Amino acid sequence: MKKTVAYTVLIFIISLQLYNSFAVQRFPKPEFESGYIQPPTSTPDPRSEAFAILDVVVLIATLSVVTWMVLKKRNRNGVFWISIFSIAYFGFFCEGCICAVGSVQNVTYALFNPVYSIPITVIAFFAIPIIFTVFFGRTFCAGVCPLGAIQDIFVLRPVTLKSWLLKVLGLIPFIYLGLSILYAATSTDFIICRYDPFVGFFRLNASFTMFMLGGIFLLLGVFIARPYCRFLCPYGVILNLVSRVSKKHLTITPAKCIQCKLCENSCPFGAIDKPVQVKEKEESHKAVRRIMLLTIIIPLLVLIGGYVGSRFHENLARVNHNVQLAQILLNPNNTQPDSFEVTAFKSSGKSTEEFFKETALIVNKFYIGGWILGGFLGLVFGLTLTSLSIFKYQEDYTPNKGTCLSCARCIDFCPVKEDER
Amino acid sequence: MKQKIIIWLSVTLLLVIVAFMVKDFFYQPKNSNDNPYEYKMDKLRHIDSSLIGYKQYNLIKPDIEQLHGIAVDKSDNIYIAGKDKVIVYNSELKEKTSFKTGKEAKCIAIEDNGSVYLGIQDHLEAYDSNGKFLKSWNPVNEKSVITSIAVTEKFVYVADAGNRIVYQYDKTGNLIKEIGKKNVDKGIPGFIIPSPYFDLLIGREDELWVVNPGRHSLESYNEKGDLVSSWAKTSMDVDGFCGCCNPSNIAMLSDGSFVTSEKAIERVKIHLPSGEFKTVVASPENFDEGTKGIDLAVDSKDRIFVLDPVKKSVCVYIKK
Repeated sequence: MKKTVAYTVLIFIISLQLYNSFAVQRFPKPEFESGYIQPPTSTPDPRSEAFAILDVVVLIATLSVVTWMVLKKRNRNGVFWISIFSIAYFGFFCEGCICAVGSVQNVTYALFNPVYSIPITVIAFFAIPIIFTVFFGRTFCAGVCPLGAIQDIFVLRPVTLKSWLLKVLGLIPFIYLGLSILYAATSTDFIICRYDPFVGFFRLNASFTMFMLGGIFLLLGVFIARPYCRFLCPYGVILNLVSRVSKKHLTITPAKCIQCKLCENSCPFGAIDKPVQVKEKEESHKAVRRIMLLTIIIPLLVLIGGYVGSRFHENLARVNHNVQLAQILLNPNNTQPDSFEVTAFKSSGKSTEEFFKETALIVNKFYIGGWILGGFLGLVFGLTLTSLSIFKYQEDYTPNKGTCLSCARCIDFCPVKEDER
Repeated sequence: MKQKIIIWLSVTLLLVIVAFMVKDFFYQPKNSNDNPYEYKMDKLRHIDSSLIGYKQYNLIKPDIEQLHGIAVDKSDNIYIAGKDKVIVYNSELKEKTSFKTGKEAKCIAIEDNGSVYLGIQDHLEAYDSNGKFLKSWNPVNEKSVITSIAVTEKFVYVADAGNRIVYQYDKTGNLIKEIGKKNVDKGIPGFIIPSPYFDLLIGREDELWVVNPGRHSLESYNEKGDLVSSWAKTSMDVDGFCGCCNPSNIAMLSDGSFVTSEKAIERVKIHLPSGEFKTVVASPENFDEGTKGIDLAVDSKDRIFVLDPVKKSVCVYIKK
């Protein structure tokens, strides 16, 4: 009975798709046999509904398989081959869109713009990797994200970065996340997509600049493993935070750690927390004093950050197209011929006063956004300081739940076998 | 030591990338006069001289403020209509007569008995052969934009770009039927008219030919309103039509070939009755850029009259 219902629903969905094949093209596409080169567009052609559903199904399937490979099979080779599949499917076949990394902006945009109807697929691409991370850690980063997967192939001679340097560079993704949310919330730009270094490869239409940018990232990735994932990816910030509470995370050893130290340098991402000697444990009165100090410093940093952010709101708003146009219209010394934007505005029939009022509202949004962004960065800075000054006592070599990308490389270095449990 | 150098070089490179992104995003001027999506029309506007089969024979400069429509009667008199008046020239291109209309006629058609029909926004006005006002027909509706008229022995056909339909009237102005409404069962695709350029003509067998500019096609209907035949040619090259909506105007030669005019790439061409490209009459060089609504007419000697609303002239073309 259940099967019959399932088949009926499936046939119904397929028949809905067939309807499209009878659609008549209202405007014949111009042909470009005469040598005209069509400029590359910033987004690929929209996916058909069937493909959009397929994308979500493949996402869930790939995530399930990679999670199974990491947690159950503990098989690095399996993760690698899934990475290759992800590059082929989510990268080249889907042309890098929609991706979970960029979906942060769509979700933000939908939250702040009620008229924007966010596609279910986008919500799925945003939420599903997070849900998996809550339970299993960053298995999405391990082998499903095409941006991560393409970099992973180039991890050939990784070097280990000092932990303080990791912390400092690790602040960049927070700034990037904050800015991308600010610009999406103010309907200004989707900067993650704009500066996606690999999407041009996937669409085979990269501009020279983006080709260079992507190339440099891959070259850099030979030595600094996955530089985009670790020091830029805004979605990685979310997964990092969520993964810290993950229920069942990858472990280096399947049984009791024998302290053989073989895995110590196995992680190209520096995501293995080493055992802390008992003698390094902090005296309790010192810890209390430091926590009290941090209790004062962190709110102060949030306030200072918020204030600084709000002072820069005009600079942040300068990127907004309406603000740019308003600046041109307000400039009495502008002797340049009208740009396309100015011409379009003048022909729209909208009054300048009305437009300036709208722009003032946008700038005000940036003022509030500047406070929030600055406060957020102040908080991140404060918490980073805290994490640097806290000694976390542990006896074994364990993956850092936040920064570990669940790539399963370390597993291969562990001599302990599962049946030794 | 070597590893340290690699680390610092890599970190520096990473910071350079970040700096580049910041600079590109915050300091790149976004407003510019360079439109990356602009059609580069220069190449398309150039037409090989070997493809041009006609030459300019003469030029008429009518004393009308705004020129819109041209028609030729069975005696080869040329009627030019526009704002406020109609001027009539004989076949020697000498001004024969003129009459005031007080209206802005967008199109004109001449009946075999010499009656003149003018399309005035949403209705037709009829004049006799001497320019005496006869009758103003009832307006169609407020959406109506009449762009072309054609007359047969029994009917008057009116192209309405606003309502995207062709009306068939009797000679007294009674609406008989609508032609060209989308009808899948009858194979009628419906007119796609994105701009107010929608022309029609009467063919050699009294069949109605209508431009469907959004489809880059010409469609032929019988007097019952059935679609008889059609041809379409979409091409950025000279052998077809391009853009949102072309051709804008048509006329017919004595052998049934079509004379077509286009906007965006301003040119006048001849297509065989089957739709195949034959030759170019006037190339884009003959028009100011942006010229639209190049109306056409043909006389019994197959001279082609090309009305240029920007230069406010009518150029006569003959075969080379």
